[in-house]
Amino acid sequence: MNPADQRPAARGSIELAGVTKRFGETIAVRNIDLKIPGGCYCCLLGPSGCGKTTILRMIAGHESPTEGAVLIDGENVVGKLPVERGTAMMFQSYALFPHLSCTDNVAFNLKTRGVEKTERRARARDMLDRVRMKSFADRLPAQLSGGQQQRIALARSLITNPRVLLLDEPLSALDEFLRLQMRGELRNIQAEFGITFIHVTHTQMEAIALADMVVVMDQGQIEQAASARDVYDRPRTGYVAHFMGGQNVLAGTITSRQSGNFTIASGNKKIDITAPRSATASSPAVGDQFEVAVRRDRVRLTRAPSQAADAGVNAVTGRVSGIEYQGTWLKISIEDACGEGFVANVPDDQFFADPLKMGDPVIARWDADELHYLVARPGRAAANGSTVVAAAGS
Amino acid sequence: MKVSPALTSYLQIGPLLLVLLLFFGIPLLVVIAYSFFQFDGIDSVPAFDFVNYVDVLTSGVTLSLYLKTLYYAVVVWAITLLVGFTVAYFLAFHVQSLIWQMALFLLCTVPFWTSNIIRMISWIPFLGRNGIFNNALIGAGITQEPLEFLLFSDFAVIIAYVHLFTLFMIVPIFNAMARIDKSLIEAARDGGATGWRIIWDIVVPLSKTGIALGSIFVVTLVMGDFFVVKVMSGSQSASIAMAMSNQIAMVQYPPAAASAVILLIVVSLMVAAILRVVDVRKEIAG
Amino acid sequence: MQKLQTGKRPLSFYALSIFFGLFVLFLYGPMSAIYILSFQGPTGGLTFPMRGWSLHWFDALFSQQRTGDFAGAFTRSMILAVMVLLLTVAISVIAGLAFRRRFVGAAFVFYLAVASLIMPGLLVGLGVGLTFQTLGVQTKWFASALGAQLTWTLPFGMLIMFAVLSRFNRAYEEAARDLGATNWQIFLWVVLPILFPGMIAVALFGFTLSYDEFPRTLLTSGAANTLPMEIWGMTTNVTSPALYALGTVTTLVSFIAIALALGSIAIIQWRRSRPVANVSSAKEPE
Repeated sequence: MNPADQRPAARGSIELAGVTKRFGETIAVRNIDLKIPGGCYCCLLGPSGCGKTTILRMIAGHESPTEGAVLIDGENVVGKLPVERGTAMMFQSYALFPHLSCTDNVAFNLKTRGVEKTERRARARDMLDRVRMKSFADRLPAQLSGGQQQRIALARSLITNPRVLLLDEPLSALDEFLRLQMRGELRNIQAEFGITFIHVTHTQMEAIALADMVVVMDQGQIEQAASARDVYDRPRTGYVAHFMGGQNVLAGTITSRQSGNFTIASGNKKIDITAPRSATASSPAVGDQFEVAVRRDRVRLTRAPSQAADAGVNAVTGRVSGIEYQGTWLKISIEDACGEGFVANVPDDQFFADPLKMGDPVIARWDADELHYLVARPGRAAANGSTVVAAAGS
Repeated sequence: MKVSPALTSYLQIGPLLLVLLLFFGIPLLVVIAYSFFQFDGIDSVPAFDFVNYVDVLTSGVTLSLYLKTLYYAVVVWAITLLVGFTVAYFLAFHVQSLIWQMALFLLCTVPFWTSNIIRMISWIPFLGRNGIFNNALIGAGITQEPLEFLLFSDFAVIIAYVHLFTLFMIVPIFNAMARIDKSLIEAARDGGATGWRIIWDIVVPLSKTGIALGSIFVVTLVMGDFFVVKVMSGSQSASIAMAMSNQIAMVQYPPAAASAVILLIVVSLMVAAILRVVDVRKEIAG
Repeated sequence: MQKLQTGKRPLSFYALSIFFGLFVLFLYGPMSAIYILSFQGPTGGLTFPMRGWSLHWFDALFSQQRTGDFAGAFTRSMILAVMVLLLTVAISVIAGLAFRRRFVGAAFVFYLAVASLIMPGLLVGLGVGLTFQTLGVQTKWFASALGAQLTWTLPFGMLIMFAVLSRFNRAYEEAARDLGATNWQIFLWVVLPILFPGMIAVALFGFTLSYDEFPRTLLTSGAANTLPMEIWGMTTNVTSPALYALGTVTTLVSFIAIALALGSIAIIQWRRSRPVANVSSAKEPE
C-alpha cells in the first residue's frame, strides 16, 4: 500500500507572512509575503545572494526566520524540526551517505523511525522501483552517475511521504545534456506524487520550463511571483524584464507629453512611445521616471536611410553593433538606440533575405500593442504579481 | 534532553583539555615551582630561591652546552631543510601519478612509525670501525685505514639526527607544495622563467609555512634530545637535555628544573623567531 | 618539471630521482643491516661478516634472563599502546568536532595542544614525575606514563582530525536531520562511519607513537619498563646481536600495525569511491 496514493487534495500549501532573515548585520530576506498553493511546482529564481536558498531552508526547517511566520497547510511550523513539518529536502550535492548502499540510503528515514530491517529494506526497494533504480539497489553512491544519484536522492526524500519537497539547485551539478533529461523526470515525478515542489535555480529557462509558479527574487525581496508565462511575457518590473531576458527595457525621464504619446529621454536619445490607456492628465507627469518593455522578437528591423533619421513613434534608430547566430533566429544588438542596449531577435529566413552588417544604420519598430508598462522598483513586494499600470499589452 | 550547541562544544573539548591540563599544564607549573626550590644534596626543599638559576646561568658549562646544542640544531636544520625540500619538491612536482606520489610519500613516512632508538642504533654497525661502510671503503681500495670519525663523533650525531628528523621537514613542505596551483608554474614558464628562477621566486615563497613548521619541529627536537647525542657520540659529547637527564638521574630536581625552564625559554624564543618570519597559524588550522 | 604531453622528462627529473633513491637508501639501509644481522649465527659478532644464519639471537631474547625482562616489557608496551590508541581516538574525534564551532577558549586549547606537541619529552616526563611525587602518588606505567604519552599523541590526533573534518561535507548531517535523525543517530550512523578512515589514521599514530615513545615514558613509568626502555638499557652495553633481534621483532610489530591501518584505509576508500567500469552518463536505466 503506497502511502503516496493516500494523498488528500491540494495539501502542501505554503504561506510566508512577513518573513525576514538576518545573519548578523546582513539582511538576507526582507519582509516577504508569499502564497504557494498545494500541489504546485514552484521555482524560486534569482542570482546568487538573492535569498532564494535562505527561503528554501526556512521552509525546510534548517533555518529559522528572524521575524515572521512560515505556514504549511495553515499551520505555523517555525521552531519545528524538518521531520515534524512534513517537508523533505534534496541538497545540491545530493548528500547521499557514501558508506551506505542505495537501499540503505533510501531506507534511512525508516531506520530513524524504528522500522525493522527487512521491512524497511523492502519498502526502500519499492521506492527504488518507482524511480526506476531497482537494479542499483546494492550499489554505493560513488558508483552512480549524477543523474542516477539524483534519483536516489529523490527516492530517499519521497519515502518520508512529505507534503512539500524542497530542491536546492538540483540540476546545477549535471552537464547540459543530462540537465534537460532530468528536468523532465522531475516534472513527471512531481505530477505522479502530486506534492508541492519548491525548486531553487538561477537558470531562467529551467524555471519557466518546469514551474507552475515562478518567484523572481533580488536582494532579499520578491520582484514578481506569477505563472511562468506572466513572468516572461509580462514582467512586472525592469529587474524581472532584464533577468528573464527576451525583453528590451526602455527607461528614462518623461520630457513631454502630447495627445497620447510620451517622449522619454533615455541616455542621450529621445524616444516617442504610446502612452498607456490608463494614463491620466496628471500621472505620470513630465519629469517622472518611466519604464516600458517590448519583447525582442516583436521588433521589426528595417534599414535606415541615414544615421540621423527620425524614428517616429514606437521606434528607435541606431547602428548594428552585434550579430549572433542562434539557429532559428539571430540576435541583433543595436547601439546608441536608447540608454541601455537594444536587441532585436530576427527570424533566420528574414535576416538572410537581406543580411545586415556590423555598423549598418537600422530602424527598429514595434506595435503599440506590444508595449508592456513596468512599475518602478517596489518598496514592498506584493504577494502575487499582477499586470501593471495599464491594460496595454494584456 | 536538548543540549545547547555551546554546551556540546564544551563537553566535547573537555577530555582533551583535562588531559592536557593534568599531564602538561600542571606538570609545567610544577617544574617551574621546583626550579625555585633548594637542593641540599639529598632532598628538594621547597623555597623561593633563585640559586638554581644563578648556578645555571653563571656556569661556563652551561654556555658551552648551549653552544654545542645550538651548533647541532643549526647544522641539522640546514641539512634537513636542504634534503627535505629537495625530496618534497621531487614528490610534489616531478612525480606525475597521484598513486606514485602517495606511495613514495608513504615510503618516506613509514620509518617514522617505527622505533627511534632502533633506527638510531642501526647506524652503529654501519659506521663502526669494523662497520659496513668502512669495510666497503677498504674493500674498494679507497682508504687503507678505517675512518675513525664516522662513529662516536659529532658526525655520527648529526647523521643520526638527519636520519630521524628529515621526515619532519618533508611532510609540512610537501603539504605546502601540493597546494601550490600548478598553473602558476606554467604561467611562469610561459613568461620565460627557468627552473631555478621558478624555484626561488615561486616555490620557495609559497612553501614558506611548510618550511617554518618543519623548522620548528626539527629545532625543538634537537634542542630537547638527550639520547641520540649520548649514544652516537659515545658519551664524549653532551647536550643541554643530556646534562638535565643526568641531574634527574641523581635526583637533583631543583637544578634540573631550572635548566628545564631556561631551555624552555630558549626554545620558545627560537620558535617565536621562526614565527615572526612566517605566520603559520593558517597552515595548522586550515 | 612540466607535464609534457610527449612524456619526455627533463634532466632534472633523473637527477632528482637519483637523489630520492639515495635518500630512501639512507632511510632504510642501516635498518636493513640490523634486520640481516639479527639472523647472525651463534658465533657471530655485532657487525658483518655473517657467521652462519640462525635464529639463535631471537631465542636468546626470549629465554635469557640477562637480556632483561623482554616479555614483560613487550606486554606492557602493547597494552599501553592499545590504551593510548583508544583514548587518543576517542578524545581526538570529539575534540575535532568541538573545534568546528567557535567557542570561548578554543584558541587557548589549540595553542596548549600545539605547545604540548613541540615540548621536549624530557621536560614533560620530568614534570609529570615531579607532580606525582609531590602528590605522594607512585608513578605507574599505566597511569603517569599513559598520561604523559597522551600529551604527545593527542596533538597529532587533533591535527589529523582537523584535516579530515575540514573536508567533511556538513550536508550529510543536514540531510540526516532532514530525514528525521536525532543528534545521536546522526553521530552514530552518519558522522562516525564517514570519519572512520580518519579515525584509523589517528589510531595508527596513537599506537605507534605510544609503542615507540621513550623520553616521556622514561621518567614516568615507575618501576616497570616498557620496551623502548628495555632497548635503551641494552644499548648501554651492546654485547650481542640479541639487541638486533629485539630491533627486528619490535619493528615487525610496527610494520604489522602500519599495514593493518593503511590497508584498512585503502580498502574503505577504494570501496567508497570506485566507479563501476560500465557506468556512463549516457547509459541511463530503462
